[in-house]
Order: sequence, then C-alpha cells, then structure tokens
Amino acid sequence: MDISQVLFYALSAMALGSAIMVVISRNPVHSVLWLIITFFAISGHYILMNAQFLGIVNLIVYAGAIMVLFLFVIMLMNLNAETEPQKNKWLKLAGVVAGGCLLLVLVAALKQAEVKGKVAMLETGDIGLIRNLGKALFTDFVVPFEISSILFLSAMVGAVVIGKK
Amino acid sequence: MNSLLAYIPALPLLGFIILSLFGRRSPKPVIAWVGAGTVCLAALITIAVGVAFMQSTPANGAYSQLLWSWFRVGALSVDINLRVDALTLVFIFIITFVGALIHIYSAFFMWHDRDMARFFASMNLFVCSMLLLVMADNLVLLYLGWEGVGLCSYLLIGFWYEVPSNSRAANKAFLITRIGDTALLIGLFLLFKELGTLNMNAIQQQAPQHFTTGSADIVLITVLLLVGGMGKSAQMPLQTWLPDAMAGPSPVSALIHAATMVTAGVYLIARMHGLFLLSPVTMAIVAIVGAVTLLVAGCSALAQTDIKRILAYSTISQIGYMFLALGVGAWSAAIFHFFTHAFFKALLFLAAGVVIEALHHEHNIFRMGGLRKRMPEVFITFLAGAAALSALPLVTAGFFSKDAILWYSWSSAGGTSVLWFMALVGAFITALYSTRLMLVVFWGEMRTPVHQQPDRGMVIPLIILAFFSITAGFIEWPHNMLHLSLFSDHVQQVLPATVMKRDLPSEWLFQAIATVITLTGVYIGYMLYYGKSGVRWQQSPPLAATRDFFFSGWKFDQLYNFLFVKPFLFLTRVNKSDVIDKLYNGIAQAGLRLNGWFSVSQNGSLRLYIVGVLAGILFIITLQLLL
Amino acid sequence: MTNLQLLALLPFMVLATAAVVVILLIAFKQSHTVIQVTGFFMMCAVVLAMWFVRDTLPREVPPLLVVDGLAALFTGLIIFSVLVVGLLSYIYFEEREENPKEYYILLFLATLGAAVLTISRHFISFFIGLELLSVSLYALIAYLRNRNNAIEAGVKYLMLAALTSAFLLFGMALIYMETGSMEFTAIGNAITKSGTSVLFLMGIGLIVVAIGFKLALVPFHLWAADVYQGAPAPVTAFIATVSKIGVFAVFVRFAQAIHLHENALAVTVLTVIAIACMIAGNVLALMQQNIKRLLAYSSIAHFGYLLVAFLSGDAGVGAGVFYLLAYSITLLSAFGIITLLSTRRKDADELSGYRGLFWRNPLMAAIFTVALLSLAGIPLTAGFPAKFFILTVGVQQHMWLLAVVLVLTSVIGLYYYLRIISTLFASPPLSPAKEKSLHPLFYAATYTSLVVLMFLLAWLGIFPGFIIDNVQEFLVIR
Repeated sequence: MDISQVLFYALSAMALGSAIMVVISRNPVHSVLWLIITFFAISGHYILMNAQFLGIVNLIVYAGAIMVLFLFVIMLMNLNAETEPQKNKWLKLAGVVAGGCLLLVLVAALKQAEVKGKVAMLETGDIGLIRNLGKALFTDFVVPFEISSILFLSAMVGAVVIGKK
Repeated sequence: MNSLLAYIPALPLLGFIILSLFGRRSPKPVIAWVGAGTVCLAALITIAVGVAFMQSTPANGAYSQLLWSWFRVGALSVDINLRVDALTLVFIFIITFVGALIHIYSAFFMWHDRDMARFFASMNLFVCSMLLLVMADNLVLLYLGWEGVGLCSYLLIGFWYEVPSNSRAANKAFLITRIGDTALLIGLFLLFKELGTLNMNAIQQQAPQHFTTGSADIVLITVLLLVGGMGKSAQMPLQTWLPDAMAGPSPVSALIHAATMVTAGVYLIARMHGLFLLSPVTMAIVAIVGAVTLLVAGCSALAQTDIKRILAYSTISQIGYMFLALGVGAWSAAIFHFFTHAFFKALLFLAAGVVIEALHHEHNIFRMGGLRKRMPEVFITFLAGAAALSALPLVTAGFFSKDAILWYSWSSAGGTSVLWFMALVGAFITALYSTRLMLVVFWGEMRTPVHQQPDRGMVIPLIILAFFSITAGFIEWPHNMLHLSLFSDHVQQVLPATVMKRDLPSEWLFQAIATVITLTGVYIGYMLYYGKSGVRWQQSPPLAATRDFFFSGWKFDQLYNFLFVKPFLFLTRVNKSDVIDKLYNGIAQAGLRLNGWFSVSQNGSLRLYIVGVLAGILFIITLQLLL
Repeated sequence: MTNLQLLALLPFMVLATAAVVVILLIAFKQSHTVIQVTGFFMMCAVVLAMWFVRDTLPREVPPLLVVDGLAALFTGLIIFSVLVVGLLSYIYFEEREENPKEYYILLFLATLGAAVLTISRHFISFFIGLELLSVSLYALIAYLRNRNNAIEAGVKYLMLAALTSAFLLFGMALIYMETGSMEFTAIGNAITKSGTSVLFLMGIGLIVVAIGFKLALVPFHLWAADVYQGAPAPVTAFIATVSKIGVFAVFVRFAQAIHLHENALAVTVLTVIAIACMIAGNVLALMQQNIKRLLAYSSIAHFGYLLVAFLSGDAGVGAGVFYLLAYSITLLSAFGIITLLSTRRKDADELSGYRGLFWRNPLMAAIFTVALLSLAGIPLTAGFPAKFFILTVGVQQHMWLLAVVLVLTSVIGLYYYLRIISTLFASPPLSPAKEKSLHPLFYAATYTSLVVLMFLLAWLGIFPGFIIDNVQEFLVIR
C-alpha cells in the first residue's frame, strides 16, 4: 500500500464522514461547515488523480464562493437548531428504513459485481490538466460546452424571475 | 329501355330524400305533388318499359342495367344491377300502378294530418325498397330491399305513434317478420356457401348440377327461404302480426299489407323456383302451409267485427291461396292471383278507409250499416271488390285467378284431392264473409250518421281499381272456355309451365262445383245477415265459443304469449341483476376501492413522494438481485 | 466540425437564438405582444430550418449528437407543441399582473433542452439536455409566485428532479465503469461483446428511475398531480407534452442502441411499471374533481400505454410516435380550453366550473369534447388509431398481459372522460360573463388554432394512414 492509496482511503473516509455529518447536524451552520470539509476531501481526490486544475476550481467555486453564500443566507434568515421544524417520527423512521434498505440492496448488488481491473487511475491520467481540458472542451465538446452555458443562462433567468421584487 | 330502369326506383327515392329534408317546412300541396308525383312518374316509366317489353322481348328475356359495383368481399361480388324480366314486370307494374293510385288517394286522405310529409317520405321509401326487392338481380340487393320494406312497414304501422297500441303493433310486426328475415339470411349464407354466388341467374343455372333432387342441403336451404317468405307474407305460423298491422293508416294497409309487401314471399319463392323444384318436400310444405293458412285465416275473418281486421285476415287467406298454388307448381296461377288480388284488395282497403273516415273513425261493422244510399260510389266500388274477393263466376277478376288455383290444386302433378277440398272450403268461407261484410256495412239501418262525403280525388282511384277488379281477369281464361292465356304466356317466359296429371276429369265439373259452392256461400251469408235474421243464432253458447275462438285468430297470440313471451320474461326476471353485469360492477367496485387506496399516496407531502421514488429504486434493484 | 454538421444543427441554433433574441427585446423594453409575435416567428423559423436541412439528414456530430429521422420527428413534434403553448401563453399571461416577458426566455430554453435530448447519443448531452429542461422548468412552474401552489409545486419538482438526477448520474457512472464509454452505440457494442453484468443492469435501473420521474411513471409519478395543478396552465401543457416527448425520444434512442428490449430483466421491470401506470393512472383519475389533476393522472395512464409500444422494440417506434402526436394534439386542445377559461385569479381547474359549458360556449365545449373523446380513444378521433396501433404491435409481440391490461384500463378511463363530457352538457348554473379585455384578434387566433387542432384530431382519427406512412419514412433515416 503506497502513499497514494493511503491518501485515497483517508480522503474517502473524510468525505463520507463529513457528508453524513452534513445530514445529521442539527445546526445549519454546522452543516455548511461540514460540507466545506467534504468539498476539500473531494478536491483532494481530484489532485490524487492528477487533475490539479479541477481540484483548485472545485475549491474556489464550491468551498469558496457557494458556501460563503450559503452561510450568508443562513445567517440572514437566522436559522438555528431551535427553529428547525420537528418532523413526524414515523416519517423519519420510514426515511431511515427506506434509505437503509437502499444501502443494503446497493451493497448487496455491488458485492456481486466484479470490477474487471478498472481501478481509478491514480497519478497517471492527464485529462484533468488545464491544457488538455481546454483542448477537449473547445474542440470535441464545444457543442455541449455551449449548451451548458445556455443552461447557466436558464438558471440565471430563473433566479431573477423568482427573486424579483 | 335499359337506361330507363334506374329511374323507376330512383324517382320514389328522390321523393323520399326531398320530403325528409325539406318536408317539414313545405306547404301541403308541394308535399302531395312530390309524394304522389314521383310514384306516378315511376308508373308511367314502368308502363313505357312494359309496352316496349311486350312489343319485342329483349335478348335473354330481360332488360338489365348495371349501375355500379356495390362491394367485393372475397369471392362475393355484389353489383347494383337492376333486371326486369317478365315476372318482375308484373310486380313493378302492380307496385307502381297500384302504388300511384294509392298515393293519389293518400294525398286527399292524409291532407289534414300534421305529419303528412313524414307519411309520404315513408311511403316513397317503401315504394323504392319494394322496387329494389323485385328488380334486384342478386339476392344481396334483394335482401336490402327486403329489409327496407320491413323498416317502412314498421314506420308506417306506427305512424300514429302517440297511441301506445300502435307502437306495440309496429313492434310486433317488426319482431315477427324478423324471425323470417333471420331464416332468410341464414338461407342466403348457406346458398352462398354451397354455390359461391348469390346472383339469381347463376343460382338457377348452377343449382341443378350442384344439388341432387331432395338432398338435405337443398331441403334445408329452401325451407329457410320459405320461412323467410312466411314471415313477410304472414303465413302460418308467423301470421299473427298482420291483423295488428291494421293500426296504420288505411292507404298503408292497402299498399303494404295487401297489394305489395306481403306478397314478397310469393315473389321470393317464384323467383327461386329453380331451387324449390329440386326439393319436392319443400314444395309440399309450401302447399300445406298455404292451404292451412287460407282456412285458418278465413275462419278468423268470419268472426271479426273490425272492418280492417276482416280484410287483413282475408289478405292472409288469399296469400294462402297463392302459396298453395306455388306449392302445387302452378306458378303462373299464383302470380295471376297476386295480380288480381292486388287490385281488389287495395280497392277494399281504400274503400274501407273512406267508410271509416266518413263515420268518425268507426271500425266496428255492426255500428255501420245502411251506407248503400248515402255513399253510392263507395258502395258500388266496394261491391265490385267484394264480388272479386268472393270470386263470383265470370264477372269478376277474382274468379279467373282463384278458379285456376282450385283447378291446379287437384290437377297438377303436386295437387291432391285434400288440398283441393281445403281450397274449396276456403272459397266457401270467403264468399260467406264477403257477403257478411257487404250486408252488414251497406244494408240494414244506419247506426252511425255519415258526417262527410269522400273527396273526388279519393273516389277516382276507387273507380279505377274497381274497373280492374272486374276486368283484370279477362286476359287469362280457363283452357276449356276460351283460348286466351295472355298472362300465363307472359310469365311463363320465366316460370316453368305447370306439370299436369294424366287422366283428369273434365275441368267443367270443377268449375261447376266451385261456382255452386261460392253461390251457396253468398246465399247462406244472405240468409244469416240480411235484416235481423242473424241475431238469434249468434246467441247459442257453442257457436259463441267458436266465434270467440275465431275472433281471437285461433288464439295464436295467446299461444305464442305462453310459449315464448312468458318464458322469456321469466328468464329476464330471473336474470334481472344480470350475471354478466356482476363482472362489470366488479370492475367498477375494484376501481373505486383502488382509487381510495391510491389516493392516500397523493397527500401532497414531499417526503412521501421521495419515499415513493426510493421505493421504486428499491423495487428495480431488488428485482435485479432476484433474477 | 464541418459545415455540414453545423448545418444539421441549424434548427437548434435558431432555437437557442430565439431565447437570446427575446432577452434583447426585453432589454429594449418591447411589449409583450412584440415578444409573443417574434417568438412565434422564431419557432416558425425553426420549422423552416428543419425543412431546409431535411435532405442532409442523417448527420452525425461526433461524439455527442446525431441528427437523424428520429430526431427530426421528435423535434418537429416538440416545436409544434411549443408553437401552440406559446399561443396559449399570450392570453394567459396578458391577463395577469406579473410581467410575462421572461417567461418566453425560459420557455424557449426549456424547449432547447428537450430538443437537445432528441439528438443526444451520449450521456453528457443527455444529462445537459435534461438539466437544461429541468432548470428552466423549475422557474416556469413557479412563475406565478403569488399563487399559493406555484412555489410549492416548483420546490417539489426541484427536489425530486435533483434527487433523480443524482441517481441518473450514479447510473451513468456505473455504466461507464462497466463499459468504459458514455456513447450509446459504444455501450451497445461493449455489451453485445461481453454480455450484461450486474453493474450495467444497476446502471440501467438507475437511469430508468430518472426517466421514469420525468415521464411520471409509477412509482415516480407522485409529483405529477401537484405540479400539474400548481403550474400555470400553459406550463402544465408544456410539461405534459414537450418535456415528456424529449425524454421519451432520448429513452428510445438509448434503448435502441443498447438493445434494451432484448434484455429480459429490463423488459420485466418496464412491464411492471407499464401495468402499474395504466392501473394507477386510470384509477386515480376516477373520482378526481380537478381537471388539471385529472389530466395529470390521465397522462400517467397514457405513458403506460406508450410503454407498451416502447416495449415492442423497433416495431413499436412508429406506433409510439403516432401516439405521441395524437396525445400532444389532444392535450394541447384540452389545455387550450383550460387556458381560455382561466381567470385573473385562478386557473379554471374545478370541474364544477365546466358545468353547462356547452350552453354558454358551444365551440369550446365541442373542442373539449373532441379532445376528451380522443383521450378516451373513441373511434373517429386521433386517440383511437393511436391506441389501436399500440395494441396491434403489442399483440404482434405477444405481450398479452399488457394488451389485456391496456384494454381493461381503457374501459375504466372511459368513465372519467365521459363524466367530464356529461358535465359539459349538463344544465348550466347562473354565472357571470367573463370579462374580456384583450384585443379580439388574439382570441380569434387562439380559437382558430384550437379549431384547427380539433380538425387535426378528427383527420388523424379518420385517415391515420398518411401520417403513419410519413413517420415510417422518417424513421428509416438513420
């Protein structure tokens, strides 16, 4: 087990653990903070796969910009553990049972699957480098790139419409 | 001439279309002119065609006009092809000529009815359908006309539909003739299955090669055709609808239920003679059906008090004569009797209509009487009709046609002494009830005052019909009197000549017996009904019971009610909450129940919806694991 | 990318331009009418562009897109529906307080999303198209913020769409992991070479979840009634037609590429879903008193019927396209009537409001009646041959169970359609006349288009052969 594998498992554990904490924290501010940790762990994964550009962008955009926005909103709305509405106990139970079953079944299904030598390419891939990414985006994938820009336009207009006045 | 044929049925059809589209808003003169005019024009064309036909018989013995191909299904190709041969010519002449007279009469008779347009529309449609029936060159087209006349008969019997009993009578007529129609249809299917064609000429040609005489197939087919004819022509045991059909207006009774539609069965059998000749059994059945019917209906006519019901039973009885003639193979005699009967029976119905109208819708003959002086034209014409009906020797048309049937019912190869005797008794009864009708209605004291005299337009058709009732017989004389046989020469272009027995007694003898019997009937009628002599004997109990039995038409209605209607009603009552319905109700119940259950899921809670999605995923993945 | 490839994408570029043009028009403070009319002509331009490039088809635009006969058919269907939805929107939004202009941007962007789905042959374009459609729809559904149900409906749609998108991505990832490709044909080839595995099947299952959500298939249908009810009537029409057509198109293409109907497991899953849809949709609609909710349930049932065609494989595609065409025309006319009857305050979705419509406005009642008869699949309307073709292909493929369920549930369906029709012809209550403030020209245009739709329904019902032949002609372009 070399260093990158150790790092991989450590980052994975961190990502999963903090993601669970996001869900179960009672205080919304805590949830946001746990989410930032999750994003950090994921950025670590990107870097492990030799995709430094994506890792950095992920940090800047999600952990940097979006999470700050989230925090502002939460603080402005003055949300805290006490204001969180109490949910129906049975519904909670149903949610736990459904989610648990899903997990169980997924694990059971995936256990049967044989992963035919398709391990993640740690340290070797080069698509995540800024140069290759740029080339791919602006040659082969130029149409979807344009379409995704339209997607953002749509989101923006939608936000403006709903938020107006 | 060929190209004129289509106009004969097309003109009444045009009248029907105009009247049904614009009739409601048209003034009455327009309705009358359109309704009667189209049929009169058709009659003129028919006469022109007939004259041309007489002058030079066309090739193949028929005019024909192919209009268009109706449909092709597999081996069956049906064309709208009109064909007029000697037999059809007789029928279309009667339909259009007598029909035209009845339409002219109706124009005056129906003048005050608010539904005059509907009346003429239905009448025109009837004439068109009837013409199609007899002009068809294939059995499918014939069947179209067959159903068309049934429909019009239904519409016209129930013409005054506000009275419930009229609607019931219409339903009864429709349902009972339906039995015959169904049999006919099955017969046609079988015929097509055997021969692969429904073209009449082809059937006539192929049948002798295809069927062996008397084989089960041909017997079955001909019996089915016969049942079809019995339904339409009101023969035993399907006769019960015709007396009730008198609920319709009198011109309807004259046209549909005396002159034309009810003889469709006669036409069918005559037209299919090629098949019937192959099945001697069926021929015997036809003769027996005719003979029994003429007696049963004649007895019923004796006891009736309603003037139109007397005539209705008389019609059944006279058609019985035609069936008897068909059954013994006297084809031309049957058609000849149809020919004369159409005149005098139409006349009697129309005259009866005038009488009923004049006496404030009085139908009971015992409340009439003494009309001889008050309505002389009607009296004279009615007398001519009744004389023809009772076949007074030499001076009436009825004598010539009925005498031929009496003679052939003994002398032809299929004839027997029993059939002859039954026909003879029938002749006696006919004379008796005709005399009774005449005496009760026109002699004696007046019991209901006459409140209106008939229009001239109604009297003229009566006079024309009366003229033909007397003279129409002179074109065909018995062989022993004059060698004049225009009619049988004409129809024997199509129909085979009657096969005779050998070593027959003299025809004079039979004519003498028939004459004596008829005159005896008239005399007994005179004895019983002239003045007040009839009152006493009518009171004796056994006679009264017999009379009631006859009056109710031999209790056939009650019998059918007991045999069919009651069991049917019983079944429907038992099955009131339909067993099959349970299934559908079950589906509805299950639907509602499920609706209740499913609706619970639609409670608007987003969390529940997410649970739904998760459940779906679980289901899919679990299925994958299991399979 | 060559010129010819660019040319093939011309209709889609025009569609994207339409949105930008509307933005510019808003920037220059043009009136609603101008935007409406411009939008209309832009859509016509899309149709023209489609017509123009028709002969150059099929054209691949590797690696993500392919413009072939199937795509042309479904895009045509989408544009046709948007044309009608746009027409309905004018009357609907002009009567309301809110500023209606941004609505058209979102409408055209959502349309672009649906159109991209029809030409996708790659997971990336599939996902982007789907998201473009969804994101625009969130805002569209919640467009009338002041209504109680609008925001609720929008949030419900958002949450569930996000959830199912996550599953979609997971499923795509699993398939990528198994086959090493995200292109449909490459996946198909890999699968035929090495056979299906658990990972692959699970991926398919998860993708079916996302598609099932968009098409409102049982058990992912629970949102449908709430969203249909909460959204503005023209948007509901859009969800019911355009969005579902786009998703169905990509599903058909995906299924054809990976030979989905040869996979026993997938067929079993979809069969169960189809049966559940037919039963649940029809049963839920039975007692429903709200027309928009009723149409939601009815559309669940109709997509159950459509799945029968889908499960028949290649043979069923023609029947499916015809069904979608008939269904779209029918629903658009029904929603047209709802739009026309809606007032400033609320949509005309209560059944009681339709009581005696025939005596007040016979033309509307006639259009609505024909639409409902078509939904019920009564002969002489488009719904009958559509259902009949589906039944035919179903029986040809020996899917007896599905065929039986289809027939039985159609009978149940008849009940609630006829219930509405009988309401239309009942004796009317006393109701105040609706105020009409708009220029009569727009009412005339809307009425005209609705009457045209009605005659189209009758024409399709009586002469379906012409359309079927043309559809088949298009489908061979691949």
